[in-house]
Amino acid sequence: MYPQVLFQNRKPDRIASLEEYRASGGYAALADVLKNFSYKDVRAMVLDALLLGRGGAAFPAGRKVMTVADDAPFPRYIVCNADEMEPGTFKDRVLIHADPHMLIEGMIIEGYSARAEKGIIFMRPEYESAARILHREIEKAKAAGYLGNNILDSGYAFDIVVHRSGGRYICGEATAQINALEGKRPNPKQPPPYATEKGLWGQPTVTHNVETLVCIPHIIRNGPEWFRNLALTETGSGTKIFCVSGKVNRPGCYELPMGIRLSEIIETHAGGMRGGAKFKACLPGGASTAFLTAEFYDIEMDFETMKKAGHRLGTGAIMVFDHKTCLVAATLNLTEFFARESCGWCTPCREGFPYMRDLLWRIEHGQGQEEFVSTLKQMCRHLWNSYCAFAAGGVAPIESLLTHFKDEVYAHIREKKCPFKNG
Amino acid sequence: MPKLIIDEQEIEVPTGTKVIDAAEKLGIVIPRFCYHPALGSVGACRVCAVKFLQGPIKGVQMSCMIDARDGMVVSTTDEEVVDFRKHVIEWLMLNHPHDCPVCDEGGHCLLQDLTIAGGHGIRRFQGRKRTHHDQYLGPLIQHEMNRCIQCYRCSRFYQEFAGYRDLGVMQIGSRVYFGRYKAGTLESPFAGNLTDICPTGVYTDKPSRFIGRRWDYERSPSVCINCSLGCRTVVSVRYRQIVRQEAKFSEAVNGHFICDRGRYGFYYAGQDERPRYPRIRGKEASWENSLQAAFDGMERISRESGPAAVACVGSVRSSLETQAALKRLCRTKGWQGPVYGMDHDIEMKVKTAVFELDSDLAVSLRDLENADYILAVGVDPVNEAPMLAMAMRQAQRKGAKVALVDPRPISLPLDFCHLPVAPDAMGLWLSFLLKNMVGPDTSEAPGPKARKNLDGTVTEDLTPLWNPDQMEAVEKDFGQSLRPMIVCGTEIVPKTVPGLAADCARHLRSMKKASGLFYLFTGANAFGAALLSDIETSFEKILMGIETNTVRALVLVESDPYFNFPDRIRLEQALERLDVLVVLDYLDSRGVRAADVFFPTMPLYEAGGFFINQEGRARKAHAAFRGGRPIAQISGGSHPPRSFRDDIPGHKTKPAWLALTELADGTADHLEKEMHNKLMQWMVKAHPVFSDLSPVDVFPETGVRLNLGQGTGARIKRDRLAVPQSDFKPDGELVLITVDWTFGTEELSVRSPYLRQMEKDPCLFLSRKDAAQMGISDGDRVAIRSDAGTIHVHASVVENMAPGILVLPRHHRLDWQHLKALKITLNKNQILGMNEDTSC
Repeated sequence: MYPQVLFQNRKPDRIASLEEYRASGGYAALADVLKNFSYKDVRAMVLDALLLGRGGAAFPAGRKVMTVADDAPFPRYIVCNADEMEPGTFKDRVLIHADPHMLIEGMIIEGYSARAEKGIIFMRPEYESAARILHREIEKAKAAGYLGNNILDSGYAFDIVVHRSGGRYICGEATAQINALEGKRPNPKQPPPYATEKGLWGQPTVTHNVETLVCIPHIIRNGPEWFRNLALTETGSGTKIFCVSGKVNRPGCYELPMGIRLSEIIETHAGGMRGGAKFKACLPGGASTAFLTAEFYDIEMDFETMKKAGHRLGTGAIMVFDHKTCLVAATLNLTEFFARESCGWCTPCREGFPYMRDLLWRIEHGQGQEEFVSTLKQMCRHLWNSYCAFAAGGVAPIESLLTHFKDEVYAHIREKKCPFKNG
Repeated sequence: MPKLIIDEQEIEVPTGTKVIDAAEKLGIVIPRFCYHPALGSVGACRVCAVKFLQGPIKGVQMSCMIDARDGMVVSTTDEEVVDFRKHVIEWLMLNHPHDCPVCDEGGHCLLQDLTIAGGHGIRRFQGRKRTHHDQYLGPLIQHEMNRCIQCYRCSRFYQEFAGYRDLGVMQIGSRVYFGRYKAGTLESPFAGNLTDICPTGVYTDKPSRFIGRRWDYERSPSVCINCSLGCRTVVSVRYRQIVRQEAKFSEAVNGHFICDRGRYGFYYAGQDERPRYPRIRGKEASWENSLQAAFDGMERISRESGPAAVACVGSVRSSLETQAALKRLCRTKGWQGPVYGMDHDIEMKVKTAVFELDSDLAVSLRDLENADYILAVGVDPVNEAPMLAMAMRQAQRKGAKVALVDPRPISLPLDFCHLPVAPDAMGLWLSFLLKNMVGPDTSEAPGPKARKNLDGTVTEDLTPLWNPDQMEAVEKDFGQSLRPMIVCGTEIVPKTVPGLAADCARHLRSMKKASGLFYLFTGANAFGAALLSDIETSFEKILMGIETNTVRALVLVESDPYFNFPDRIRLEQALERLDVLVVLDYLDSRGVRAADVFFPTMPLYEAGGFFINQEGRARKAHAAFRGGRPIAQISGGSHPPRSFRDDIPGHKTKPAWLALTELADGTADHLEKEMHNKLMQWMVKAHPVFSDLSPVDVFPETGVRLNLGQGTGARIKRDRLAVPQSDFKPDGELVLITVDWTFGTEELSVRSPYLRQMEKDPCLFLSRKDAAQMGISDGDRVAIRSDAGTIHVHASVVENMAPGILVLPRHHRLDWQHLKALKITLNKNQILGMNEDTSC
């Protein structure tokens, strides 16, 4: 059993209360920070801890807040991205339902390090229960003096509001999210200016994923070195919540050290392949990552090692496929999602995904033609020239399907049917 | 200045230039859909992709999103980007219907051009096309959403640029829909521009639907004469008829856009009812006979009663040539006039404005966009000159604050501070502002001339007249601004205001600010009229002359007093007394029908001519076509319209200036070109200010701003300002002002059958407070009794206007000419609420 940091108060049937969170050492980091640390100290610690953004892009959290210039204007904002809509990803919901105060404390400390005065939690509409929990717990934190105009008599003022989004995948893109918060269409906006310079309502804004924020109190409490040492690899740091789904015996959310081997996650923690099936491939980090083939079954799950292997850890949502699963159908399903969720701003993503969905549908349903493969490949490459990074992520499964499961695709075309289906 | 290489050609461009524009300077036109110079770059369509080979940025990038930088080496022909662009076009064509043969955009469609240019000819996609329902967007614009390529130009123009909210984007992905929440007429008076900026046929010009292809039309540059701004346009002519008018880019005035009043206001020129033959006492006659009859009649009266018994009235919608020819006629014959307007006060205000408008203070409409603070006094931009509102919005988008002093219920597509000051108090308001700005201790410091005029003002409690806090805020904003500009109307303001506005601008200039002055007039050529009109006389004087038999003949040149004079009964009685009424016009007006001798003239599209806009910029419109009634009107409905005959019916019309030249000596066989040269020579001699207009081969596209010569010397003497009568109270008498409306007021555009559908119903605006006192509710029928008649109209009760004021738009469906004057004072018992529920 590995140490449970983010899930230390997780219970099978209810959320952890403020008292329970405090009993486990909660809000001690905040008190410490307000009393003993300057905002620069906090930034240095988070940077030193090598905390990488857990929303999928793995941008160093410490570096992000440092791009807020010392003389940047006020007010500044912290946005917590809880618009968890990456297929297969369900860690933020679990984190909020396990221990909401960990997120609240993380936001206050991050707010302090950015010298922000307001935090906004951007909630996916399907997460209404999480929104209600946060509402309630924010009030409790306020009553306890952790939020408000004079937090723990330090003079620091910070407040958190819960924003219920109208929903849509693109709202998870940080710049689109800012537009959504402003009441505009959630179209992404290319920098410059960067959000940390001119973000929400033109003010400096730092956006973090839920999982990134909940790490921060622990880094302060136990030090950067402790945090780095949580990982099993040199390059990794901290723990990671893995959301395992698919053909395994025990799908679920597991907090495991960064750098743990994929094989261990599947076999030890997720209970092994269901019904004795054979591991064929998995998506290691949500729908916008490439298929990880059996060749990488033992890979160390850490941003850096994955990158070296040409893969992305993404959100750490592992979707496992066995040898009986048709990956053309799986890819079609994912492409269906991207075609539906494209925000419609730029041409390649808006029109390219429906086009590729059509080609994949034809292949899967026995209407495929050989030239579809080259068309798909070419289009995937062109989708890299889309406006934001979502399209590039969305084509990752298609690209890897065509590279690693070429035979399966051609079998569909040759046999004029899906070989995994009977009849 | 960054230097870069595009397709092996080097170019140096100003910092901040996008690569797409830098390439255009080299003659390399990179494809684009979403990029538009007025709307900026957003990188949505991705068709302007180029490859950066060397320099600070590498790889495939959108040329509209990247600023040109030193050392860049760019290829537009790289294999990868050509293939990518081809794919973009293929993607855009996935759902585009193949309906080019029946699409009005066909022939000038950017998508069509780029599809051909990109080499996309064969459809590979086997899936279904997504389809949309179209919406009814009103009488001006046809919607066809299936053609949409999602460039977002329309919503960006409509919402961001123009500031209206009822058209926008809905849905996501490939289901993105551009339209209204619910079908209905577009609210923006700039909606017509959607047809210009849409790169394909989603928004097309509805009135000209199915009439022709771009290449069927004779297209020529023209000028809009539906207000005094003088926006540049392009008119398209087919079969002797103008079928469409579009915006023409003008650096100095309108930029890329025009308003709908201008775009759809031209139909008067091709109306079936347009009189095209000379008439003597209502009967068609030859030009020669008519000329003889008019000439003889006026010569006789000149002989019998002296030349002053003949009076001449021109108009502000005539070309400068026509105005000048009338003046020359009066000068040579000794006839009375000319006057060019019905209201002497307005004429005098415009004259004041023209003489106050120092060339170093005058700003163009586009200059106004660079203001950081705009104070507008006595203007209602959307209703009087819509493009002014657009310019103010652009200024605000760049950070300017806008304050507007006006009693009317004003709405603008921008955030502004409205100071509802009564019309009579506006002069006082401005003089107090000036006085406060000049300061009590600096009597001889900056703006000494301005100060002299303020000594007579009374300093009593002025709180009932305006909110002192708001004035203080204006002062403060002026103080902080660097480029303050003053916009000043000339219609409803007291006569002191144009001069005070100029003083204000001058004072700001003395404070080392780049201040500007911008007047607004009524009438496309009010500026020309102000330079030419005779101050000694007025329409009122001429009317009195007729009533006392000292004036026996009247020449009306493109002027219809029945439409414009506010006391119709008096006018009718007076005109009946005339011995000779000669009318020259191209409109089917009541004046034309009442004429003893009538000469049909040519509208601007046939005659061409100079028009001077409100900033003193002379612009030349060329004749777009010549000759006769539209073929559609004489072809008996055949399609395509055709006619076989050996003459051109209805071509016997002449430019009004030529007809006036002929009227001078009674002969008609003049050579037009020679006569025009002579007229221009006379103009330059009599008014040296026009010397810049002397014939040149190519008159500059941007026009020529007249140099009025005055530095800071000649000032019209200011009248002492008096506080409006001390019993002036919002609950005392009511002042009724008549005003302009975007659609429904202006003489030419009200003849447009399409704009008629855009008109709101006539109404009388009154403030909630006054309405409550008089027991009138919103929507009630109200009777307004004046000495000259009674007017029935519905009440519109609003919050955002000055109390004690009634605002009546001069709607053509309303007999406002029974008011007696453009502005009248009424007693409360002259306003009768006739609540339909209780009246019977």
